[in-house]
Amino acid sequence: MHLEIITPDKKVFSGDVDAIKLPGAEGSFGILNNHAPIIASLKKGTIKVTDAKKNIETFEINGGVVEVQNNKVIVLAEA
Amino acid sequence: MANLKEVRNRIVSVSSTQQITSAMKMVSAAKLRRAQDAITQMRPYASKLKDILENLSASLDSSDGQYSKQRPVKNVLLVVITSNRGLCGGFNANVLKAASKLAREDYKGNNVSVLCIGKKASDYFKKTEYGIIGSDMPRGLNELFDELTFLNVAPVAEKIMQVFVDLQFDKVELIYNQFKNAAVQITTTEQYLPVQAPPVTENKKVGEYIFEPSKEFIVADLIPRSLKTQLFKALLDSHAAEHGARMTSMHKATDNAGALIKELKLTYNKARQAAITNEILEIVGGAEALAG
Repeated sequence: MHLEIITPDKKVFSGDVDAIKLPGAEGSFGILNNHAPIIASLKKGTIKVTDAKKNIETFEINGGVVEVQNNKVIVLAEA
Repeated sequence: MANLKEVRNRIVSVSSTQQITSAMKMVSAAKLRRAQDAITQMRPYASKLKDILENLSASLDSSDGQYSKQRPVKNVLLVVITSNRGLCGGFNANVLKAASKLAREDYKGNNVSVLCIGKKASDYFKKTEYGIIGSDMPRGLNELFDELTFLNVAPVAEKIMQVFVDLQFDKVELIYNQFKNAAVQITTTEQYLPVQAPPVTENKKVGEYIFEPSKEFIVADLIPRSLKTQLFKALLDSHAAEHGARMTSMHKATDNAGALIKELKLTYNKARQAAITNEILEIVGGAEALAG
């Protein structure tokens, strides 16, 4: 699935990934391939991104919102 | 007849002014490019945020949220965005004119206060009777342009939201120069608070989404974010517009200096020739007097 992490200052991340772990407003949750469409609020925390080669990348965010639709994940973050 | 030395001095001073204006033009052109890049960078964020919000508020009545509640207007806050420096044509004058007009005519009889971003606005409103707020910000409002990032702008937006929620002000308007292209700036007045509901667009397919934790929560979380983004966008626009305006006015100044130099050179050469002719006449006259 395709992930984009966008902040008001710039696009932080854009690429295909396997799994994403997000700091949801009511607890951390993960998103895998073919996730149902969701809009979720995020709180301050860390986004953990795992790509096909099991490389892990992390991003600190200061809250935001995530939208998932058709294997397209868009994270609007304040960082 | 023009004094030779005087004309020469003027030529020197005009050409050094021309050097300065053409250098300023170059600097502004470079800064304009960077400012435009910043606008392009934030556009995806702003448009996506708007999408999500529209999507949500289409199915949700948000007209009584704390940021969208309409109150009888008594106290009005004008957020005036100008530049820190001059030499950019009518850029600042236009905004200040629009702001004073708004305060004098549209909000006649209301209590008007201003929040100035940019030195030109604070210098101007210091001399008026309007109350100035925001001078207690930890980071000076005029230093915002030195480092224009979302992180620095957010506290200002929070402060504005705060005074609105605290019932200090019933309406907040933004006045700034919108960037259209390098040569054109549009003086814009925009209602900031209370939030105006986005026009409901049809054929939006809502309801397919899962909302986590709830629609209401997300909307309440997103509205402050979109307000911050709106202010940030206004600042970026104003910043780009400032450099555009400066570039254009410096270009004109350089051209004018060129024309002036041309004219002065003509005067100088004419005067020089007249002086030489005079001298020859004197010599010939003297020689003739000796021979005679």
